[in-house]
Amino acid sequence: MAAPFRTFAGKLFCGSCRVVHAGVRSRIAISSPSCLSSFRSYNAGSEDKSTHFGFETVPEGQKAEKVYKVFESVAQKYDVMNDAMSMGIHRFWKDALLHIMNPQPGARLLDTAGGTGDISFRFLDYVRSQRDRQERRSVRSSQTVSWQEISDSYVSDETEPVESRAVVCDINKEMLNVGKQKAEDLGYTSGLSWVVGDAEELPFDDDLFDIYTIAFGIRNVTHIEQALQEAHRVLKPGGRFMCLEFSKVSNPLLSSLYDAYSFQVIPVLGEVIAGDWKSYQYLVESIRRFPDQETFKAMIEEAGFFRVQYFNLTGGVVAIHSGFKL
Amino acid sequence: MPAGDLQQTFTDGVKGSAESKQPFDTSLLEFLVCPLSKKPLRYEEKTNELINDELGIAYPIIGGIPNMVPQDARLIHRDMEE
Repeated sequence: MAAPFRTFAGKLFCGSCRVVHAGVRSRIAISSPSCLSSFRSYNAGSEDKSTHFGFETVPEGQKAEKVYKVFESVAQKYDVMNDAMSMGIHRFWKDALLHIMNPQPGARLLDTAGGTGDISFRFLDYVRSQRDRQERRSVRSSQTVSWQEISDSYVSDETEPVESRAVVCDINKEMLNVGKQKAEDLGYTSGLSWVVGDAEELPFDDDLFDIYTIAFGIRNVTHIEQALQEAHRVLKPGGRFMCLEFSKVSNPLLSSLYDAYSFQVIPVLGEVIAGDWKSYQYLVESIRRFPDQETFKAMIEEAGFFRVQYFNLTGGVVAIHSGFKL
Repeated sequence: MPAGDLQQTFTDGVKGSAESKQPFDTSLLEFLVCPLSKKPLRYEEKTNELINDELGIAYPIIGGIPNMVPQDARLIHRDMEE
């Protein structure tokens, strides 16, 4: 009984997603047969559109499924492979993201494509150390208190400090399961939630988050513009969009070394460590397909972000893009 | 559809039975909306789903993690509502 429901729902939702994208949010008439047929015809028209899956050109509808399979297949070995392929440098890139973000206690983070939780764990560590530092500072300064400060402290005692919160959202259930398990092992309990969701269709209310991150994820999204618009929607005014992604190496010497390493070494590592050549072949190809720093910057601006800038890491192997919703 | 069938549907795809017993963190409801209508959802404890009553869509919660991908959701018959 469930299966036909699901296929029906799938067809219906595919159609209605597009309606939502078109900006007609509040009214989706799902019972009317005429609406259904118009959804279908819309769908049929868009099936011809193609996109990139690594160096392959595939119909748009297939990319999400193919990407899903890649990450389903690598989920268990994801962390080990990251260390092996980047020789541990990915840790430095992720630390750099947090350093630039500099989140303060009480901040709310949406960690999109957050899979195994790397960014969210760092975020929680960072805000905790910030809070500890602030507390130490306030203790030190309160050794000589004025009457004013004492009266202030009564007021501030009444308002509880807002808890920082990280929400990890990933379309891949396998990656989230690995991340949730890791969180339990590492002892991250409070202020952390896990949600299966699509970056192109976020299941979060408008104006909710102080920071939106997508680390090594946006490359795998079928409609990047759509994901950027959703990021803009869920951020609070003043909120910050941050993206960590492979980018373009400009130095010719470094570039040729990087190419040799990517195409000769990474798929071999993938085969040896994760038993999966194809997924890592895809990884390397998708990196080369992704727009360079300036092009991606323009796309972020196009989505409505202000003060967009980027920082190259490791000679542009990776770039951090940042923009604000005003 | 009898309740037994329903129960079967919800536990589909769950590997360990312990996994499905993980509690849902209801404070998430403050953040979550239906990805299609962007409207708030209702937590249905009995079936462990997040419901969009207006559109009749139920999003499953598996191992404490809500699955908010419309393609994985379930359509509810209007007449099934109490």
